[in-house]
Amino acid sequence: MTADSQLLLDTLELALSREADFAQRFYQVLFEAHPELEPLFYRSSRGALSKMFAQKLTAIVDHLDDPIWVDRELGTLARAHHSYGVSPDMYPPVGAALLATLKEACGDDWTPAAEKAWAAAYERLAAAMTGA
Amino acid sequence: MTQESWLTIPEFELPWMKSRGTPSSVLPHLVLWWSVDEPQRVGEALPIVGPTTLGRGFALSDDPAPRSQPEAMRPSRSTPTGALANARISRVQLWVEPRGEDAIFVRCIGRTPMLLHGRPQSEGIVRMGELIELRNAALFMLSHRPNPLAALRSARDPDFGFGVADAFGLVGECEATWKLRDAYAFAATTDRHVLLLGESGVGKELGARTIHGLSNRRQRPLVSRNAATLPDSLIDAELFGNVKNYPNPGMPERLGLVGEADGSTLFLDEIGDLPEKSQVHLLRVLDGDGEYQRLGEARPRKSSLRLVAATNRPLSALKHDFLARFTHRIEIPGLDERREDIPLLLAHLLRRIALDNPALAARFFERRQGALAEPRVAPDFARRLASHEFTHHVRELERLIWLALSTAEGDFIGVTREVERELKCAPEPSPTMPVVEWSEVDRDSLLKALAEHDQSPTRAAKALGLKNRYVLLRLLKKHGISTPGEGSDE
Repeated sequence: MTADSQLLLDTLELALSREADFAQRFYQVLFEAHPELEPLFYRSSRGALSKMFAQKLTAIVDHLDDPIWVDRELGTLARAHHSYGVSPDMYPPVGAALLATLKEACGDDWTPAAEKAWAAAYERLAAAMTGA
Repeated sequence: MTQESWLTIPEFELPWMKSRGTPSSVLPHLVLWWSVDEPQRVGEALPIVGPTTLGRGFALSDDPAPRSQPEAMRPSRSTPTGALANARISRVQLWVEPRGEDAIFVRCIGRTPMLLHGRPQSEGIVRMGELIELRNAALFMLSHRPNPLAALRSARDPDFGFGVADAFGLVGECEATWKLRDAYAFAATTDRHVLLLGESGVGKELGARTIHGLSNRRQRPLVSRNAATLPDSLIDAELFGNVKNYPNPGMPERLGLVGEADGSTLFLDEIGDLPEKSQVHLLRVLDGDGEYQRLGEARPRKSSLRLVAATNRPLSALKHDFLARFTHRIEIPGLDERREDIPLLLAHLLRRIALDNPALAARFFERRQGALAEPRVAPDFARRLASHEFTHHVRELERLIWLALSTAEGDFIGVTREVERELKCAPEPSPTMPVVEWSEVDRDSLLKALAEHDQSPTRAAKALGLKNRYVLLRLLKKHGISTPGEGSDE
């Protein structure tokens, strides 16, 4: 495991251990900042959305050292998100909400190195999903 | 030929001389009982072969012991179902080791707190049938099973999804349930009369439907009746039929259950409640190749019926010679013998309720992309069902579910006051081990672990059995040891 992927995994584990409802909190943060995005998610209940988000996020971080798996998964995710009406301009707010939620959950253990690693990882993920 | 030469002739191997093969060894398994993130995977089992790591995801190179992964266990084969993907448990969550024949030792090394017997513990002994709870994440029941389950002798290989109901509505994946399916399949092929034995609520009618549905008689509808509901004065007329106006004026003509079941199967529930006199009359039909007479009719009739009867009473309630006509006796296990099926039954019953009651579905179930998804079942409800002593089995489970739904205050299925009253006969088992506190790791151990793991806090923390690197970093600070840099972990 590379240093970056270990750092991403460790910070995610820490965030999940400190905020048991991490995914619920993420959606709160996202919809508070961008209420216009909430209608996109109406077809799933909040509980189901949170579980799907947490599972996908942990699975991607767990597989960071397996680019073939990550590419395949992101391809599937991208197609699904496109069909829900998610456009490329919606990715930055989601990334900002994710980092804000991670920072909030990690508290004093959130470091500049973690922030940098997460920002870079999300940028790569969004680029892969939008084909940018 | 001399006697000596006879003895030297090689003998053909006769069927009963053939080796029966080595029976599968029985192993402890942790059966997924409840999962907040992966409710669709309940019933999957993780084998425990020696020291074992359990956690989210695939094996890691620095797992403290080989990692066990879930399997869908079925007769003759176990299919890997992929790593646990529950975001609420750590990559390395539990360290498990068999202890003796019917217990395991478990230590929590992940971020999610572990509860044994409903109490937080960092390690302890778990015995067969007991649960390991990862708080608000998952529940596992310890079970001993052969892996794979014994091969089916009569039933066909399953053609339905793991954990869901089979074609006849029977739900379950444990050994007892598969043996039951096999017994039904064998009975179905023989066309002999069958007696189903089991307590009230175990699913005797379902058994009759399964046998009928698997038999050559399945083209005709099953004729089903509860013997206890036959009025005393009309038992013979109900069983054998009567001509119009016989024995009393105004009596309508009846075909009788025996006549209706011609070419099909007659299921008589609670046969133990049938008076002895009627048992004798029915015995005559079974003995006489299906010959019977309608009341008020001189000519004999014939019915090619197969009788499947059921009783929850002692066999002594049946006349000895009547009992002897039932070639097959199948004992249907109660929920105490197929406890591992409870979460599957819970999911099945809840789904059935949701499909019939959109308002309940909207309140108690998640929704994914517009479709009905899993119910919100609180872990305490699932946990308490594991230790509840069922007296009316599946019927009682269904009643408990309805009680939980009808008395719920929120949008989840939990242990309400009313449910608690029903479960009061099954208190939480007392812990088999006292609560074990994490002992403080001393300075020397910290330094040694870091030295042995190239100053990597993550690997040193794992080696010391600490929950994560942050616990180790806090300990280093406490002992005044300089902290390895964040980037120096690898």
